[in-house]
Order: sequence, then structure tokens, then C-alpha cells
Amino acid sequence: MNLLANKLIINYPYFAAVILFMIGALTVLTRSNLFKKLLGINIMESAIFLLFVAGGNIRGGASPILDNTHADAVYINPLPSALMLTGIVVSVSVTAFALALIIRLYKSYGTTDARQIALMRDEVTRK
Amino acid sequence: MLYLILALFSGVIGGLVVTLIPRTRNQLRNFIVILFAVSSAIFSWKVAFLVFSGESVRIAGSFGGLGWSIDPDPLGAVFGLIASTLWVFTAIYSFGYMAQKHNQNTYYTFFLVSLSMTLGVAFSGNLVALYLFYELLTFATYPLVIHERSSEAVQAGSKYILYSLSGAGAILIGIVLTYMFAGRLDFADGPILAGSMRPGLGWLLLLFFAGFGVKAAIMPLHRWLPKAMVAPTPVSALLHAVAVVYSGVYGIVRVVYSVFGHELTAQLSVNSILLWIVAFSILAGIIIAMRQDVLKRRLAYQTISHLSYILLGALTLQPWGLAGAIMHMISYSMLKITLFFCAGIISEQTGQTRVSKMSGVGWAMPGTMAVFSGATLGMIGMLPLNAFWGKYYLMKGSVAGGKWPLALVLIGSGILNAVCFIPVIVNTFQGERSALKAKQGGSVALMLVPTGFLVIAALVVGLLPGIVWPGVEAVVNWFF
Amino acid sequence: MTDSFTANLPVYVIIAPLFVAIVLPTFARLKRLVQGLVLLVGVLGVAGTGYLAYMVLSKEGFPMIYSMGGWPAPWGIELVVGNLGAFFLLVVSGVSLPVALFSRDNLTVEVGGKERVARFYVFYLLLVGALSGMALTHDLFNVYVLVEVATLSCCALVSSRKHPRAAEAAFNYLILATLGSALVMGGIGFIYMITGHLNMGFASQEINRIWQHNPHVVWLAFSFMLVGFGVKSALFPLHIWLPDAHSTAPSPASAILSGLAVKGYMICLLKVLYNVFGHSLMQEFAVHRIMVLAGTIAILAGSISAMTQDDLKRRLAFSTVAQVGYIILGFGIVNTKGLAGTLFYLASHAVIKSLLFLSAGSIIAVTGKKKVSELAGIGRKMPITMATFTIASLSLIGIPLFSGFIGKWHLLVGSMEAGNFLPTAVIIIGSVLCAAYLLPVIRVAYFESAPQEDWKDPGFSQKLALIVLAAATVILGVVPGPFLELATRAATDLLMR
Repeated sequence: MNLLANKLIINYPYFAAVILFMIGALTVLTRSNLFKKLLGINIMESAIFLLFVAGGNIRGGASPILDNTHADAVYINPLPSALMLTGIVVSVSVTAFALALIIRLYKSYGTTDARQIALMRDEVTRK
Repeated sequence: MLYLILALFSGVIGGLVVTLIPRTRNQLRNFIVILFAVSSAIFSWKVAFLVFSGESVRIAGSFGGLGWSIDPDPLGAVFGLIASTLWVFTAIYSFGYMAQKHNQNTYYTFFLVSLSMTLGVAFSGNLVALYLFYELLTFATYPLVIHERSSEAVQAGSKYILYSLSGAGAILIGIVLTYMFAGRLDFADGPILAGSMRPGLGWLLLLFFAGFGVKAAIMPLHRWLPKAMVAPTPVSALLHAVAVVYSGVYGIVRVVYSVFGHELTAQLSVNSILLWIVAFSILAGIIIAMRQDVLKRRLAYQTISHLSYILLGALTLQPWGLAGAIMHMISYSMLKITLFFCAGIISEQTGQTRVSKMSGVGWAMPGTMAVFSGATLGMIGMLPLNAFWGKYYLMKGSVAGGKWPLALVLIGSGILNAVCFIPVIVNTFQGERSALKAKQGGSVALMLVPTGFLVIAALVVGLLPGIVWPGVEAVVNWFF
Repeated sequence: MTDSFTANLPVYVIIAPLFVAIVLPTFARLKRLVQGLVLLVGVLGVAGTGYLAYMVLSKEGFPMIYSMGGWPAPWGIELVVGNLGAFFLLVVSGVSLPVALFSRDNLTVEVGGKERVARFYVFYLLLVGALSGMALTHDLFNVYVLVEVATLSCCALVSSRKHPRAAEAAFNYLILATLGSALVMGGIGFIYMITGHLNMGFASQEINRIWQHNPHVVWLAFSFMLVGFGVKSALFPLHIWLPDAHSTAPSPASAILSGLAVKGYMICLLKVLYNVFGHSLMQEFAVHRIMVLAGTIAILAGSISAMTQDDLKRRLAFSTVAQVGYIILGFGIVNTKGLAGTLFYLASHAVIKSLLFLSAGSIIAVTGKKKVSELAGIGRKMPITMATFTIASLSLIGIPLFSGFIGKWHLLVGSMEAGNFLPTAVIIIGSVLCAAYLLPVIRVAYFESAPQEDWKDPGFSQKLALIVLAAATVILGVVPGPFLELATRAATDLLMR
């Protein structure tokens, strides 16, 4: 038990990532408000970013800027952070696109609630 | 080889030509239909004689790494002869029967295309080609089944196609297994699985049996056949009494003799189970037939019974049994098609389809009923008609195989056939002479001529069985 | 000159559509020019991929490994033109060109407006570029990026019709697909954490060396990948977005979504499973069993749902769910025959399903009828459209002489060699069910009398596209030779690790 608690405490970034991911997934699947769904997606993606960045981190490592004064310094792994930059770009574009779709839905249905949209679907479509 | 191609493709080409003819040109279309049907028959005869004389007629190729070959052997040649010859008679009958019906071009197109597909099944030289034509036959005959376009016909069509496709699926699994066991699929070099006894072969045989059994209408798998009787009578007569159901029967005979070989099959314990399933079909089919009031349905259940005769003969694995099976295949097809033709004439002339309402029909249509009676006597197995010989050899085969109860089954089924159909004849000669519907001239004669001709042919074969014996002998010698 | 061209051809194949997609909006108003450019890209794509496939089949020195920017493998990104890559490239270019041809006249009907047409083509080209990239890439993070590009362009294609339903379907698709990509990225993260590599080859060596130390992480990576790509490729319980998305999209988009996009994700899954984890690890973790089971359920559930749909495009969409099941099931059959059959089936389904959607689309565009029950007599009014639909249906059912049969045959042989009779039976049951939902369409179209309306086959380019695709399925069924050879070699490659 103690060992497990120890592991959790030492690996707290991963633990946080898992909790964030679950919060995000739950929001996406249970909320009917379109904005909240989108927020859930964003939280989920942040969780993954955290996972990656934490994976590349080395406690006490220096930022990976090479200079010749500290020849034997330990650097953190820069690659996951660089990858997450791409990930953030993708996430931003998904968010933008989703917002555009929400605006279109709001224009045609007058609401941003997925359940109400489902109820109104047949009426609006027939028009 | 040219003959083979011509025999095979006459039907498809004819079908395509028919689609090009305007709907109003009935005479021209009928001429085209009979032309291609006859040419297909002539070339089939040519091919058959080449095969009987021991020459090899073969086309082969491959698609997708799978070899196919068209390579008729005596069994295939006999089936091809039966099908292509009867097609000509049915075509003539159709001219009379369909004269006032709708959508004739569609009908004749698929009528001719089915001929090609049936011949393809008959002449195929390996399992891939057999499977190909077997599947295509299903699709080519589907439009004929739903020709009435009524909801009943559509349901029957769906049932037919789903049953057939499921059966074909079982066959496909069987073919793949055979391919994995033996590495080849050609029939020409003796039985494919010969000498490779291994566990699971019984299940493989059962799989093939169930797959082809759907089209052969073996008893638990027969449900589509009575339903399919909503099709026009020529279709019921030719396809659901002869061509389509024979493709199933032929498939089983093929599997037993060309895939497993009679020696291997004899070692499988499943063989005797199959024999009893078939015997059950013989009796149950005819017993259910007795309770049917619609004449065509009664004939359909009789079909189920008689198809199993052929299977019984093949499954005895005796030369005499196989001879009986082939003999019965020939004679049954002639008689059954006659019976259906008569049922069609009656329903066209009087509008009656139910046996119970047919009293007096006999007085009105003595010629038709005479033919009907003749064919019925043949089906029972009376001597001057051809079916007697088939039955005789079948019994000889079952006794030779040490399975004398099967001979009793055959005798019993003969009696039941009499019980089932003699009352129909008697009934038609009771009561007042029934009224006939007014009908345009010419068409009745067109229907009656092929019908009468067939029953006379049956009589001739019955009196001189030597006419067909060379064919039967060739098949038996080929496999034993 | 020619040498450097050939050496860089893999990159050109991917870059060309992406580049044109970016410049296309600048002359969005010149519709003819836009269409011409798209077709040109398509033709060049077919030529380029055909040449690559020819090289792969006939020349030494393949698989060709291309290092982006000249950086060698552990640091740089690799493109590998192997058998699998060439195979899928051929499928992508071969199907996308007829779709582009079809959309030439059809699109104005479907999406309206010139700018909207240009916008459609932008996303169409992005999708084609992303799919080509998926075929060749050998880098895990690259897979993620391409998957995202494809997902966004798919959503944009779905929403390209000016209809509230389209926006709704696109939004649902976007949310679920992003959930899927998050899972995929998580899976990649796990693999990276335990191996320290993103290059598939290095990651694979490493993971097979050290998996015993972290079996739980490997499990997590497996499940994240399976569920993530499962959502994207509409594996049965995760398919809920597909019927809406594929049936509300404009027909050319439905064709490419059902025919290609879904396949792209499955090719990625295949690469991750076989090139990164490797088949021995898959069998160690019994992942292949899970896939067979998931495929089985998908085939049965998808087919039965398809039978209950009256809307033609929804019926086809559910049929896609069932066919995805076939391919996932095939991925779980770990032997050469089975995998080759699956790959061939994938290609054949890409052709068939886009053909089905295109002919359904032209029927809907001409008649305005969407329901199967309203299609009475279409077969006589629109003979070419319905004939191609029939060919595609027969092929999907698995009648010999059509491509579907070859795929099914090898799948069957493979599953029996694996000694697994569940897939064998399901494959057969699936084709009977397929007949049950496709044949009624054909029956209604041909054997019921037509109303008195002036319906005609669509214009020349649409007819040509339909005929090309129909010819492709027949040719693949009769002489699949080189194509099957490529699939078999690809399967052998996948099983080498």
C-alpha cells in the first residue's frame, strides 16, 4: 500500500493526466451542451499533452540549450515538447472548426443543446 | 471445343438478343428464342457424343490464382442433354402459355440465360467453375420466380435467394476445405480426396450435402420450393422440377463421386446417416403431397420426394444404384415436366388450381388428362413407362449394397404416389363437364404438343430402355 | 534528372495534392480551372502511384526508404515505399480519380455555389494527400498528424452541404473523431515512453525486447490504439457517428469517406499492430482474438441494421459498418493468406463502396428520391447507373468473377488455415445478409413498374466515372494478378517481424 502511494506521489504528473483525461471524456459523453462537449475535448487533449511532456521531463534536468560551459549537464528530452507544439496546433484548429459548426447549428436551430437539436431535427429539416 | 463454347453461350447470347427486340415483335422474339434454344441443344448433343466417345472437350483458365475448367464427363453430359433438350420443349410450351402475359421479354431473356448457367453447372470440370455457375444460376432464375410481381412472388423470391445463397455459402466453405486438404479442385484426375482419410471428412461431406441439398430440396431444407410455385408454370416445370433442383442433385452426386470418390465415401460413417435422411425425404415428401390441395404444390412435394430417389441411388455407392439414379434422372425429368405442363394447361383453360375443384375437368379436356394419367402411371413406376427401369435399378442397387430396407422405402413410396395422384385423375372425371375459358387460338395446341410428345417419348424409353442405356453405362463406367 | 525525380517521387505523390489544396482558394471563382487542376492532380497521382507500384513489383532495391530532409532514421522522419504502401497508394489514387471525375458536374447540384465547390475540393485534396501519407509514413507521430489532417478534412466534407443536418452530423463526427485521435495520441505516447522511439522500425525492435518489463503499458498502448482507430474506422459499437455523417454528406464525399477515409485509418491500425507491436506480441496479448470477435459482432450488427434502413444512403452507410467488420476480422487472422485476402478485400471494398455511393448519389440527384421503396423502375430509366449499382452489389455479396469474391476466398482460406471456424462461418453469413439488404434495391429498381417521369442517366463524366469503377471491380475479379501479388507480398512483409 505504502509502495503504491509512493509510486503515485512520485509519478503525480501521470496521475494528473489520467484524472484530467477522465474528466474530459466524461464531459464529452455526458454533457449535451455543445460548448461543454468542446471543452471536454480540449481538457482531454491537454491531458495527453501533459502525459507527453511529463514523459520527456527529467527531474533536475536543464533546458536543452547547448552551451559549452556545462559539458556534463543533464538535459530534459525536448522532443515530446516539440511534438506537443504540433498537438496544440491541431487542437486549436479542431476547436476553431467546432466553433464554426456550433455557430451554424445555432443559426439553424436557435440553441446549442444537443438534445433539443435532436428533438427539433425533423421540424427544421422539413422546412 | 468450339461446340462446347457454342452450347454454353447460345443461351446468354440469345438472352442478350431478346433484350434488343421491341416488345411488340412477338413472332420475331419467339423465333429467336427457339433458334437459340435449339442451337444450344444441338451443340450439347454434339458435345455429349464427343464425351461418350471418349474424347476430351476442355476449356480452362484461371482467375485470381484459382483455376477453372469446363470439362464435361459422362455425368455432366447426361445432365446437359436432359437440360438442353427439355429447354426446347419448354420454350415451345412457353409460347403458348405466356402468349397473353406481361413482361415477356424479361421472361425469355432470363429463360435463355438460365439455360446457359445450367449447362455451365453440367459441364463444369472443377469445383470453382461449378460454384460460379451454381451462384449465377440462382441469380438468373430469380427474375423468373418473381415474374408475377405480386407480393407473394416477391416473398417467394426472397426466400429462394436467401436459401440458395446460404447453401452456396456452405458449399464455398466446403470448396475451400477441399482445396486445403488436397491442393487441387479438378474432377478430371479421379476423386479429389481419394485415399486421404482424415478426421473431419464426414463433416465436410455433410457440409456439401447441406449446401447442395438446399437446391436439391432435401427435406429440412425444402421450404423454398413449394413457395416458388408462384412462378409461371413453364418455370415451375423446368426449373423447379428439373433444371435448378437437378443442379443441387447433380452437385451432391458430383461431390460423392468426384470429390470423395465412392471408396472413400463408403468408409465414412456419415454416409448411412445421409442415406436415411434421403429415405425420410422420399416418404415425407409424398406424404405431405397428399395433403396439398393446390395441384402445383402437390407436384412440388412430389418433386422433393423424387429428387431424393436420385440421391438414394447415388448414395448406395453401388454401380446398380448409380445406374438407377441416372436412369431415374432421365425418366423423372420427362414425366415431371409433363405433369407440370398439364397442370398449367388446366389452370389456363379452366382457371382451377385446386384439386378439390377440378371435378369435371377431365370430360372437358380429355387429351390433357390422358397425358396426365400416363405421366402419373409413369411416376408410380408402372412398367411400360420409363421410370420403372430407374426404380428397378435403384432397388437392385440398394439390395446389392446390403440395404434392403431402402428397397421397401422405394416400393412404399410407389404406392403412396398412386394414393396421392390416382384420386386426382378420378376426381377430374366426376360430375358435370366443367366450362372452359375462352382462349385465343393456337396457344393451347402449342402447349399440348410438347406435353404429348414428352409422354410418348417416356413410353418409348420405357419400352426400349436400350436407347438411353449407353449414356447410363458411360457414367457408371466412368466412376467405377 | 530522372533519377532524382524517381527518388523523390514518394514525396511528390503526397505533396502534390496538399500543395494544390493550399493554392486552390486563390482562384476559387474559376470553376473550370479548379476542376481541371483537381483532375490533373488525380491523373498525375494515378500515374505516379502506378509507376511506384510497378517499381516495387519489378525492381530490386525496394522497399525504398526515403528520409525526409536527408536526416537518417532515428532522428528524421522516414517514408517507406514498400509493398503495403504501394498497394494502398494505388487504391487511394485509383478510387479518388473517378470520384473527382464524378463530382465535376454533380457537385453544383449537391453543394451549390462556385466557392463552395472550390472549398469542397480543398478538403478533398487534403484528404487525398493525408491518405497517401498514411500509406507511406513510417513514423508514429507522423501517423497522428496525418490522421488529424484526414479527420478535419472529413468533417469539413461532411459539413459541406448547406443543411442543418449536415452541420449536426459533422459536429458529432468531429467530437467522436477527436476523442479517437486523443486516444491514438495517448497510445503513441505510451509507446514512446517505453521505447524512446517514434520510428516504427526502431520502436518495434525496442518494444519486442523490453515488453516483459512493462506489460501493463503495452496493454494500455494496445487498447488505446484499438479503441482510438476503432472510433475512427467505425468499428461496431463505436460506429454511431458514421450513418449520419456518410448519409448527409454530398455523394462524392460519401463515396470517398466510406471508400477511402475509413480504410486509411485501418491501414494505420494495421501498421501499428504489425509493424510496431509485431504479430508475436499481438498473439502474446491475444489481441488478434479481440479483433476477430469485434469484427464478427460488427459484421452481424452492421448487416442487420442495414436491412432495416429504408433510406438508400443510410443502408449503404450501415453496410460500411459491416464491411469494416470484415477487414478488422481479417486483421486478426494472423497468416499470409488471411492478411493478403483482407488487404485485397479492403481494396475491393474501396472500389465497390464508392461505386455504390456514387450511383446512389446520381439516382438521388436525378430523381430526388432517397428511399429504397421509392426507386421503382429506376433500372429502366437509368440503365447505366443501375447496372453499375448491380455489379457493385454482386461484387459485395461475393459472386465469382467480381473482386469481392477473390478477397473473400483468400479470407476464408486464411481463417481455415488458422484453424478458426468462427470467422469462416461469419464471413458466409455476412454475405447472405449482404444479399438480403442489397438485392431488394435491385429488385425494386428493375422489376417494379416505373412512374411516368423523365429520368435519365446523368451526364457523361458521371457515367464515365461509374463505368470506370465498375470495370475496376470486374477486372480485379477476373485478373487480379499483380494486385493480388502486391497484397500477398505486403502480407508477407507484415508477418516478417
